[in-house]
Amino acid sequence: MKRRVREAGGKRGFASSLIIAGSAILALVAVAVVFAPMLSAWGPEEIDPLASLAAPGGAHPLGTDLNGMDVWSRVLHAARLDVGIAVAAVALAVVAGSLVGLVAGYRGGWPDDVLMRVLDVFQAFPTFILALAVAALLGGGTANLIAVIALVNAPAYARLVRAEVRSVRELPFVEASRTSGSSFWGVLWRHVLPNSLTPVRVIAPLNCGWAMLTLAGLSFLGLGVPVPTAEWGAMISLGAGDVVAGRWWTSVPPGLFLLICVLGFSLLGEGLQERADSTRR
Amino acid sequence: MRVLRFLLRRLLQLVPVLLGVVVVTFLLVRVLPGDPIRTILGPNATEADAAAARARFGLDQPLWRQFLDYVGGLFTGDFGTSIQSGTSVGAEMAVRIGPTMELVVIALTVALVLAVVLGIWSARNAGRFGDHTVRVAALVGNSVPEFWLGLVLILVGYSVLGWFPAPSGRVDPGTDLTLITGADLLDAALTANGPAFVSALEHLALPVATLVIAIVAPLLRSVRASALEVLASEAYTAAAAHGLKDRLLLRGYLVRAALVRLPALAALVFGFSIGSTVLVEYVFSWQGFGQWALRGLLYRDYPVVQASVLVIALFYVVVFLIADVVHAILDPRVRI
Repeated sequence: MKRRVREAGGKRGFASSLIIAGSAILALVAVAVVFAPMLSAWGPEEIDPLASLAAPGGAHPLGTDLNGMDVWSRVLHAARLDVGIAVAAVALAVVAGSLVGLVAGYRGGWPDDVLMRVLDVFQAFPTFILALAVAALLGGGTANLIAVIALVNAPAYARLVRAEVRSVRELPFVEASRTSGSSFWGVLWRHVLPNSLTPVRVIAPLNCGWAMLTLAGLSFLGLGVPVPTAEWGAMISLGAGDVVAGRWWTSVPPGLFLLICVLGFSLLGEGLQERADSTRR
Repeated sequence: MRVLRFLLRRLLQLVPVLLGVVVVTFLLVRVLPGDPIRTILGPNATEADAAAARARFGLDQPLWRQFLDYVGGLFTGDFGTSIQSGTSVGAEMAVRIGPTMELVVIALTVALVLAVVLGIWSARNAGRFGDHTVRVAALVGNSVPEFWLGLVLILVGYSVLGWFPAPSGRVDPGTDLTLITGADLLDAALTANGPAFVSALEHLALPVATLVIAIVAPLLRSVRASALEVLASEAYTAAAAHGLKDRLLLRGYLVRAALVRLPALAALVFGFSIGSTVLVEYVFSWQGFGQWALRGLLYRDYPVVQASVLVIALFYVVVFLIADVVHAILDPRVRI
């Protein structure tokens, strides 16, 4: 008995340390996002005509890429775009997906059937393939990337919220509100929605990390932002050819920053999930 | 009988989904901007050249006509003609599927074994240092961009250490290998070609390692969770208290519980790894299905895009179906 109590305590402790580690990483990322211009001597797209593919050291702490642009500055500035697009896309996916799930789950009947069949078709594709296809056909650019990443993520939220709504709508307080004369949208907005978002809160941070990986993957294949915008995936793509020649500094740093940033979201998400699990039990 | 009826019902349910996929891909490539004819003719072509090329590929027909032709072709196994290369899409696809399946199947197998071993070990040491290490390592693996990981492995394995071959293709350039399935390792084994087998293995090592690291985390997490559940169950405690041998506890209780849950997740991970292979193939110049589909997308080669997306969706839903059937066979409690 004592052992089980201690285990539960240890579990919560591990969850907390995950959340703290994740938050700390994300705080560092936030610093990079805000203070990028002050932390680097060169502009992200500024060309040093005397140095192309210069090794790290001297005027360029992480060297320069093929175009003579400072890798450190680009890596820092890229955080703005990558984090921005990922968070915007996930926010859009959460709002759109939740709305669809909310209406489908609460109404039931034929609108529910139709929406679910449409989602079936979308979910018949692996998500990255769907993102790739739509991005390739739609063309790159910030707005399109946000739309594409939101589109491929929204169905999962719709399903998640729908499942939650279907159990919440049967609860006594919802029925009470309905019988006491609240309007359709009033019940949805005040009672059903707030009580159906718990799983979304846990999934969304994990999803932000995944969205960043998708974004970088698309950019890596040349489907992202236009060159020479500083973006991690595009930077790795530009540096890919250098790897065979043993030049690590053009592609390793952007990937490492991306990894750390995604890890921040993953740690936070994992910690939140573990905490949610242990309180449920 | 029970499983057979379930299978039949699920196959019928697939029909509308696949029909939707066919319609969506057909419309998607045509509605969104971009013209495949312009990309093959170049900037100096006249309007008459473009019209002639359009007529040759049937793109001058009204949409409904094109759609009927496309669907009619599908029923006879005809995926059309590639606008870029002018050859049959079906034939092109046949040589491309083998190499990619080889990559995905090997990676998935390695990942599954790794997940079961590490997941159960992690659960048995729950809350200790080893368990935390495994979990954090899995999180890192889950957060790593696979295309970057591939580059890092090339940097270390080829450029620095020189242990692995250059990332260009599936066997060494001079290797004499007769292709049967397109999966080089399998072909080398079938033709008893020793040197080609070794060469194929060497080329597989880094891309497989990349994929395994990228996909193992969710599997590991699932195995660990089901093992934890078993460890906390009364049945397990009773079995352990009766002095059952450790090996029996492991095989009969922990591994079995993990295996029941694994098929559905493996199907999901399979889909994920199909997406990842597009990136991994690009990094390692694998010349498989992913690279072929990517080129089709970039050039708006309608027949190639339609065929590749349809085949991926087909694979994906069929793998899910297989997973459900396997689950039903493994676990008689499943209501189907």
